[in-house]
Amino acid sequence: MKALTFTLIDQPDERLDLSGLTPVALAGLSEVQVSRLRIGTSRNPASVGDVFKVAGKDVNNIVFEGGSARFDKVGTGLNSGSMRIIGDVGDQAGRRISGGSLYIEGSAGDHTGSCMAGGRLEIKGNAGNYLGGPLAGEMTGMEGGILIVRGKAGDYTGDRLRRGVIAALKGCGDYAGYRMIAGTIVVCGRTGAMPGYLMKRGSLLFDRRPENPSPTFMPCGEPDIAFSSLFDRFLMDENIVNKPLLGPKPGKYGGDNAVSGKGEILFRQRDRLRSD
Amino acid sequence: MLIRLSGGEVIDPVNGKTSQRDVWIRDGVLIDIPEGETADQTHNVSGCIVMAGAIDIHSHIGGGNVNTARLLLPEYHAAHQPRPTNTPLSNAGWSTFRTGCLYAQMGFTTVVEPAMAPYTALHTHLELADIPIIDKATLAILGNDDFTLSLLRDGKSSAMIDDYVAWVVGSTRALGVKVINAGAAAAFKENVRSFSLDDVVPEYGVSSRKIVKSMQASVTRLGIPHPLHVHANNLGIAGSANTAAATIAATEGVPLHLAHLQFYGYGTEGKRKFSSEAARLAEAVNSNPDVTIDIGQVMFGQTVTISSDVMRQFAALGNASPKKTVIFDGDGNGGGGIVPYRYKQDYYGSIQWAVGLELFLLVTDPWRVFFTTDHPNGAPFTAYPELFELLMSSAARDAKCTELNASALELTTLASIRREYNLEEIAIMTRAAPAKLLGLKDRGHLGAGAIADVAVYRKGKDIAKMFREAALVFKNGDLVVKNGKVMHYRWGKTLRLNPPPDKAMAKRMNAYHEERYGLSLDWFTFPDSAIQRDEPFAEVSCNS
Repeated sequence: MKALTFTLIDQPDERLDLSGLTPVALAGLSEVQVSRLRIGTSRNPASVGDVFKVAGKDVNNIVFEGGSARFDKVGTGLNSGSMRIIGDVGDQAGRRISGGSLYIEGSAGDHTGSCMAGGRLEIKGNAGNYLGGPLAGEMTGMEGGILIVRGKAGDYTGDRLRRGVIAALKGCGDYAGYRMIAGTIVVCGRTGAMPGYLMKRGSLLFDRRPENPSPTFMPCGEPDIAFSSLFDRFLMDENIVNKPLLGPKPGKYGGDNAVSGKGEILFRQRDRLRSD
Repeated sequence: MLIRLSGGEVIDPVNGKTSQRDVWIRDGVLIDIPEGETADQTHNVSGCIVMAGAIDIHSHIGGGNVNTARLLLPEYHAAHQPRPTNTPLSNAGWSTFRTGCLYAQMGFTTVVEPAMAPYTALHTHLELADIPIIDKATLAILGNDDFTLSLLRDGKSSAMIDDYVAWVVGSTRALGVKVINAGAAAAFKENVRSFSLDDVVPEYGVSSRKIVKSMQASVTRLGIPHPLHVHANNLGIAGSANTAAATIAATEGVPLHLAHLQFYGYGTEGKRKFSSEAARLAEAVNSNPDVTIDIGQVMFGQTVTISSDVMRQFAALGNASPKKTVIFDGDGNGGGGIVPYRYKQDYYGSIQWAVGLELFLLVTDPWRVFFTTDHPNGAPFTAYPELFELLMSSAARDAKCTELNASALELTTLASIRREYNLEEIAIMTRAAPAKLLGLKDRGHLGAGAIADVAVYRKGKDIAKMFREAALVFKNGDLVVKNGKVMHYRWGKTLRLNPPPDKAMAKRMNAYHEERYGLSLDWFTFPDSAIQRDEPFAEVSCNS
């Protein structure tokens, strides 16, 4: 069966709520029913047929040909199957994903992967602020799965992360791992101010020494641990990076001592490796 | 405008036996059957029961605490929003707008917000004014404020205390006075963490009993129709039944209303030292005609507890679900806390649920027991229909009991109680008795001269459904609800007392606020210009 394909006719003139266009929500709907679904959010909301040309039948394989920064809540609650967006998306893409895979070929807005609990979410371009983070009032952010940003991530990456892996492969903004509860955040490239700000537990893994560490993080030397090479292998097996990230003897900061202080920042020791 | 409701079964215990008769409304007021006139509007309500509009005497629907709960739980706003709608925020959870509509749909036409800290009067009344359809009222909180405690400490005359109480009630536009764990919030600030009726507030040297008795005497002397509304000490603690029994014994011939008695019905029996003492409390209530109570029934599910009992809320921090809370000090006068909570069908939840029902069923006089869940502390008021069903059907109770913790229910008398409320008792408990308790002579019954607050329910086997969706609801003669849907929006009024302020007290209050806060009294009182609507308030007269 051919993938269910939504081809963008023209740039939408309102923000779209695409949370209803997922395998589970579309299963069993006819083409006419799908094209009548309301996706606009303004006073005169657009329906699917106004914005997209719909083709294909396989709801477990959904493709959006063309994207827009006005595509909000793409792939909300995805739990199986795959979705691919050939273009940009707006805010809250992949919110509460618990399985399957979501692939965004462009860039994504704020709260991408918000509260995701499983599955795989990959963004080829950049992501906005609060990657994986909770919305107002929610107690935890991402709780599982793998979230990969091939470009740069914004501020507050991994806000309230509780489990799972987030990778930002061309750097991130300020406060990576903000209020993190547990889990792992991988950053290649530059990190902004105060990574791990108010983190309770969990690991931040960097490919270089953090430039602006918080004063409430303490240098902890170079622990001799098996974890770094084990995790390097995991990252390469999952095709997240193609060469070891931390190396055998990473440096370590412990923190954030402003809260419980059980978190860590592990980073690759470039200078030492060169002198070896 | 002459309206006729024809053929309904009229349940109006105040004006005689239940019978099938017509009810006539002229210009918002109920009238006797007019001779030789034809109605402009006739509603055939055969197969329905007709009652006066219901009155809720204890439901936290507006004010500082409610708003803080909204701020604490923003995720519930999103959860209440199904899809984008045509007006912004119209679906935000627990809005004033929804409060009015949901109450009206169940046939409730008057609701009392029982806890307004005097310094939040402006906020509270602005919020109440924004609740559509129904009439509202508030009770002013006293007993933890520095001024009251100082008067008592300094042994000031009862006339002076009366002047102060009258000034507070008048300036905050309240319908009565409430004490909340009297003295405990003040003691809490001196690091006291448990406080009973005869404990003394540090620095002030007055006992909780002294505060309650002084306020009760003052309310009685001033002729405030609603007796002092008491939130007693030790709420929610195993063994609190002793405190409640002591408070009941302390009426000494003067009327007193005990709020949400369910939360005090706990003994210390059983393996977990948490059991039901409801039977004992019900007996104490039955044998003391000065006491009225409301229940504060617990129903299962997610809710949020909001209370000005800061000591209790502080003790409950560890039980918060989700794990976030607010505790605040109330600008030095009282305080409070917001603790979200999920009532589970476990041992403790089962005991609490059973204690409430035991009290409902064992207190024999429906004129002295009031229908509340202490919204939202025991359950949101949207659980009322299910609660009506539990009271009116022992089979429904038995069915629910099978889902609950058996060892908990064994420590209660619930299984042995077969009483079922009939519709007349429901009409007394939710209409006639609240009107009498609050001093509202113009409502709570269907006699000629009463305002035309009428609820019509379609009779059916499913009691919960019957009370959830009223067939017709009239508020002051306006048809506001039809088949459980709001048809017409109107503004209700806020009922208030207006005892004349003593000039010397007003002057003294001015000086007090200048000295303590460095601010003019105008910052704390309620300006007439705040609500831009014709006559947002309606005055209720004091007893003479």
